[in-house]
Amino acid sequence: MKTNIGVFFGGRSTEHEISVISASQAMHAINRDRYDVTPIYITKQGRWYTGEALLDVANYRNLPELLKKCTEVYMRPTYGDYNLYGTKKPLLGGNPMIAHLDVVIPVLHGSNGEDGIFEGVLDTIGIPYAGCNVLASANGMDKITMKMILGACGVPVVPYVWFTDKQWFAQRDALIEEIEKKIGYPVIVKPANLGSSVGIGRAADRQQLIAKVDEAEKYSTRLIVEHMVDNLKEINCSVLGDCDDYATSVCEEPIKSGEILSYQDKYMGGTKGAQGMQASQKRIPADLPEKVSDRIRYLAGETFRVLSCHGVSRVDVIMDQDNGEIYVNEINTIPGSLSFYLWEATGIPFDKLMDRLVALAIKRKREMERKTVSYDQNIFALSGGVKGGIKGGMKSR
Amino acid sequence: MSTTVIYIIYILTALMALVPFPAELKRDLMMLQQNSYRNERYMRWLRSSGDTTSVIRLMGIVVLLFLLTPMVPAVVSMPCAFLYCGCVTGRLLGAIYKKPLVWTNRAKRIYSVQIALALFAGVAVALPLSLGGAIYTVCHIITCVAIGLYLLSHSITMAANWLLKPVETHINNRYYNEAADMLRSMPDLKVIGVTGSYGKTSTKHYLHRILSEQFDTLMTPGSFNTPMGVIRTVREMMKPYNEVFIVEMGAKQVGDIKEICDLVHPQMGIVTAVGEQHLESFGSIENVQRTKFELVDALPSDGLAVVNNDFPMCASRPVSNVECIRYAVTDTDGARYVAEDIKYGADGTEFTVVDRENGMHLRLHTRLVGECNISNLIAAVIIALRLGMNGDKIAYAVEHIEQVEHRLNVKRTAGGITIIDDAYNSNPTGSKMAMDVLRQMTSGKRIVITPGMIELGDRQEELNYRLGTYIATAADIAIIVGRYNRQALTDGIASVEGGQCRVETADTFAEAQLMLGSIASSGDTVLYENDLPDTFK
Repeated sequence: MKTNIGVFFGGRSTEHEISVISASQAMHAINRDRYDVTPIYITKQGRWYTGEALLDVANYRNLPELLKKCTEVYMRPTYGDYNLYGTKKPLLGGNPMIAHLDVVIPVLHGSNGEDGIFEGVLDTIGIPYAGCNVLASANGMDKITMKMILGACGVPVVPYVWFTDKQWFAQRDALIEEIEKKIGYPVIVKPANLGSSVGIGRAADRQQLIAKVDEAEKYSTRLIVEHMVDNLKEINCSVLGDCDDYATSVCEEPIKSGEILSYQDKYMGGTKGAQGMQASQKRIPADLPEKVSDRIRYLAGETFRVLSCHGVSRVDVIMDQDNGEIYVNEINTIPGSLSFYLWEATGIPFDKLMDRLVALAIKRKREMERKTVSYDQNIFALSGGVKGGIKGGMKSR
Repeated sequence: MSTTVIYIIYILTALMALVPFPAELKRDLMMLQQNSYRNERYMRWLRSSGDTTSVIRLMGIVVLLFLLTPMVPAVVSMPCAFLYCGCVTGRLLGAIYKKPLVWTNRAKRIYSVQIALALFAGVAVALPLSLGGAIYTVCHIITCVAIGLYLLSHSITMAANWLLKPVETHINNRYYNEAADMLRSMPDLKVIGVTGSYGKTSTKHYLHRILSEQFDTLMTPGSFNTPMGVIRTVREMMKPYNEVFIVEMGAKQVGDIKEICDLVHPQMGIVTAVGEQHLESFGSIENVQRTKFELVDALPSDGLAVVNNDFPMCASRPVSNVECIRYAVTDTDGARYVAEDIKYGADGTEFTVVDRENGMHLRLHTRLVGECNISNLIAAVIIALRLGMNGDKIAYAVEHIEQVEHRLNVKRTAGGITIIDDAYNSNPTGSKMAMDVLRQMTSGKRIVITPGMIELGDRQEELNYRLGTYIATAADIAIIVGRYNRQALTDGIASVEGGQCRVETADTFAEAQLMLGSIASSGDTVLYENDLPDTFK
């Protein structure tokens, strides 16, 4: 009997392709002596497919051909039903069961996957899964709530102003005034909920600010304008575990080509294709004094803890090289390549990282099952009397 | 009477006669099911219940004789048969049973064979006789045969059960092998057996809660403590990622524990007690000891046996095949793990687990009360430590162990009255333990509400009398419910010299509850000892 891991990837997100690469790496790293793997690919339209052909990244060049080799599937939202069912009904009987999943590892980046939406589906079904739950995913994805929580918990973040697209239309001048007063140029404009640098731009004056906000507005209704650290160094650090027991990885320093680490820098790097992500230029471990890297690792851990994260995350911090200030910039709750390269450099091989994610998923499920969710008793049917009073008291769980 | 009317009566009678036997076969199957599909138990039940000689069956024989006697004209006997079959049908279809038949696959198999057997026998008798006969002759024969089948239902049921025995054995073997294969495919799984005359269920629950803090732990649920129960647990609940499997092992006769061990191959085992439970089927206390220690005998040489030395029959049994850790709460000579510095309070119990060999001290607090629970917890702690858990995790888990409902469960009411709910405990050891807990409550009046204990055979009176003597020193007021054990309990209470316990009697729990309203006030403690099933009230 082997544990069957369902790996979900793709998805309705701007980071669809990156997710395919991350998942492919993860699925190849899983120790097949201990686990079976069922790949589940979510198309950009949101349909689910499974099949062996999904394991090879080369097959994704011709998507219609690939999907022909696969079976379209779904899961029922029924609590406790961990089966994957085919959508095509045979002549007789109901939908065929394609696979039984024991644990799910979502390797979905960006919207509809990393933001808690997909995690909500998994919680509804009740299946153990790796990574952050709905709350932590949503908070980690939204740059505004994330900064609010971090700020309230004493984790340093750069000064910021946030607003909605409607507010920008109605109160633009007031907002610009607030930004100039509170932050001052240069600023950086971001949509609140997208990862991978999409829609992000730098503005050195009022005119540029207006242009960049108009650009960012295309991607999100919620927008944030932050203080831009001019002479910055970006450092990333991965955290693995749960709130009670977590570890931090060595730090990395991504090498940037423009002012902000662009989509091209991040994922396409020098080479093209499957190896692109991990091959993008970076320095591991980052060239930092021990005291600084310790401080960054501490802040990464704190970020993970106060956001109630779970599984493997990557925290990106900004260092102001002029004054040495360190700010937490963002957290990726499902980081590209699951940050395996950082863990390898820390002494945990990729297959062990996957083991750990599965174990954490099962542990959380176990802990959740201990909490009272509903009462056995039908309160409508409760009647008084001695028996009702003594034996029929409410039972937990 | 016109011929048409007679025809109609005959046909209706024959049709009506076809109803009782399938309905009766279903009822018999229900009874067989409640006797665990065991023909010998089923026969014992038939004898004790008098089902074969019930009035309705005796009437059936009379009706059948009526039908078969040539002197009685069929125009008379057939309407009699019609009325009789109508009555039987009404009775069978209208009956509501406490534990109705559960249509398991096995029940469906047996019912099919029952019906097939009945039809085969019926046709074999009726067909040759009715060939070439007139319609009313055929109707007459069908009526006779159908009533005959009704009367023979017990035999048909047992025959069907007997015929299916090889099939059932085959199916069970398949389940057994599947479960064994599944266990074999998980070489890293740690299997822990828990057995003992008392305390094994509680110990299993506590061990499960503690180990779950660190390991993915599965336990056999409820009272699934037979080989079949273990097989069902493995087949239906085992997950490939389970790390620990806790198996409660129950026994009614020598060899029962070994049978379970042969299936699950435990690496560690706890023997919580050797006592006088199920003495009649074991024959002797030595046999109980031998059976409980089958678990220890089955352990591999690198395994671990954990044995409760508070029971002399455990302490006196040497263990040489495997490392053995002995623990005790009262009889601590020769025990390695003991409890020290025990403090009972309103919010539970505090104590220190001490390893006398390496000097380890672990202070624990639990909401559980009673010495037996301290003992059960020590056993679980020994296993947890051996599996590498640290003291902090163990202490956290012990703090969060839920009280098992109705087993020495302490609650506080809004009115400041402490309620000890021991409604499900009916054995002599458990009820004594409850009295020990009550005795330690010092804040106000101590009140016990109890109907005494039942199903104790010929020691019923003696053991209830003894319970009375415990009550005398533990409670200020005893409300004795019902008449079943009233005399024995009252006598027991009265027998203690200098006892201060006042005895009240009530016919029902409702009445006792009303009395309590005028007796109890804030600061008092009320112990509900052994609520009884409906049949004994």
